[in-house]
Amino acid sequence: MAAMMTFTRLSDEEKYERFMQRIEAGEKIEADDWMPDEYRTALIKLIAMHAVSEIMGALPEKEWVPKAPSLRRKLGIMAKVQDEMGHGQLLLRVAEDLMAPLGKTREDILEDLLNERLKFHNVFHMAAPTWADAGLIGWLVDGAAIMTQTNMLDASYGPYARALKRICAEEVFHAQHGESIILALAEGTKEQKEMLQEALNRWWEALLMFFGPPTADTTGTSKQDITIKYRIRTKTNEQLRQDFFTKYVPRIWALGLKIPDETMHFDKEKGQWIYRQPDWERFKEIIRNNGPKSQERLELRRTAYKQNAWVREALGAVRTAG
Amino acid sequence: MAGKEQGFYQVFEVFSRKAPDAPMQHQFSLLAPNEEIALVMAQENFMRREPVSDLWVVRRDYIRRINEEEKAALKRLDNKDYRLTRGYGDVKKRWRKYEQEAFDEKEILSWKGEIQR
Repeated sequence: MAAMMTFTRLSDEEKYERFMQRIEAGEKIEADDWMPDEYRTALIKLIAMHAVSEIMGALPEKEWVPKAPSLRRKLGIMAKVQDEMGHGQLLLRVAEDLMAPLGKTREDILEDLLNERLKFHNVFHMAAPTWADAGLIGWLVDGAAIMTQTNMLDASYGPYARALKRICAEEVFHAQHGESIILALAEGTKEQKEMLQEALNRWWEALLMFFGPPTADTTGTSKQDITIKYRIRTKTNEQLRQDFFTKYVPRIWALGLKIPDETMHFDKEKGQWIYRQPDWERFKEIIRNNGPKSQERLELRRTAYKQNAWVREALGAVRTAG
Repeated sequence: MAGKEQGFYQVFEVFSRKAPDAPMQHQFSLLAPNEEIALVMAQENFMRREPVSDLWVVRRDYIRRINEEEKAALKRLDNKDYRLTRGYGDVKKRWRKYEQEAFDEKEILSWKGEIQR
């Protein structure tokens, strides 16, 4: 107890030691608690990227709101797009509180996105040319996202863990929404089945990339060691990719779909899935905003940001007047 | 323009009650320029599915929160048996002598309904 009362007088090394003891004991760190700079920086990068990916991730799906094949499908995909924007709102709040001591706000995050200093997830740089792509995003892209997000439900940073709890609860709806579209197409006409297979062919490499490279050797940097050290997540990129295969590959095969990788199989002796690596050079290009839809979608964001500036200004004026 | 916008958003904490007899529960926080927009956003952000019967938004500045050091002082010593039913575990056995059952929490809370005679 006496030691606690002198907390503010502890040296940085002692604070660090106490911080590590706390997270190793499973305690949650809150925004105003002392934390090492490396922890704060890793969280800001991770959560800001997660936040803008939710917002950018709504774009390929929103393209299908006007073109959904029935009113019920339109309502379903609209609800999902709204959820993604809602997740963005939650995560921006978490990132903002971490950035506050650095004098930064939500504006900085959005401007970093629009000025291409902040990356967004590789999958959201890809085109969604058919209704099967919309279904596949809900089924497999959200499936991959569920893998990475559930892995962080026990994150040492309390606000992020709480945001993820809300997000994962909604992901259950997203997963079944995607499955419903996929099952309808898989049980549909020959054209529908072909459309589904083509969508899978288009998305397979992006899905493998989703979990990131297995080691830092591939792309030069990797946050996985730091995030594991600080108990933000527990599994490596490769473990998550393997888990994804375990949950989804049998279902893909069960629907009669072909995975565009003839080497794909489960090696029982090794206890792991054998697969062909995606082109990690291409991955680097995509996340540098040189993917097929990167610039078009960023431009859409920039336009929306500019066109809606008057709303933010008007609301600000109301408050000043009041 | 960015500079002008920086100052006007406020952090609001959002609380809601699922049903009239449920406790107020903290949901999350949001950024809004005023209370009215904060209420609208609270509904949009957090009440898209769950039932809700009451909703509060409070500016975070108005909340006195405890810090890391104060939080550490919340830890209790495990010596409060006398405040808990756990400290009176013997009554169950002692009632047996009189061929009576002890009233536990489940029993007592069941009295809000029909009592079997």
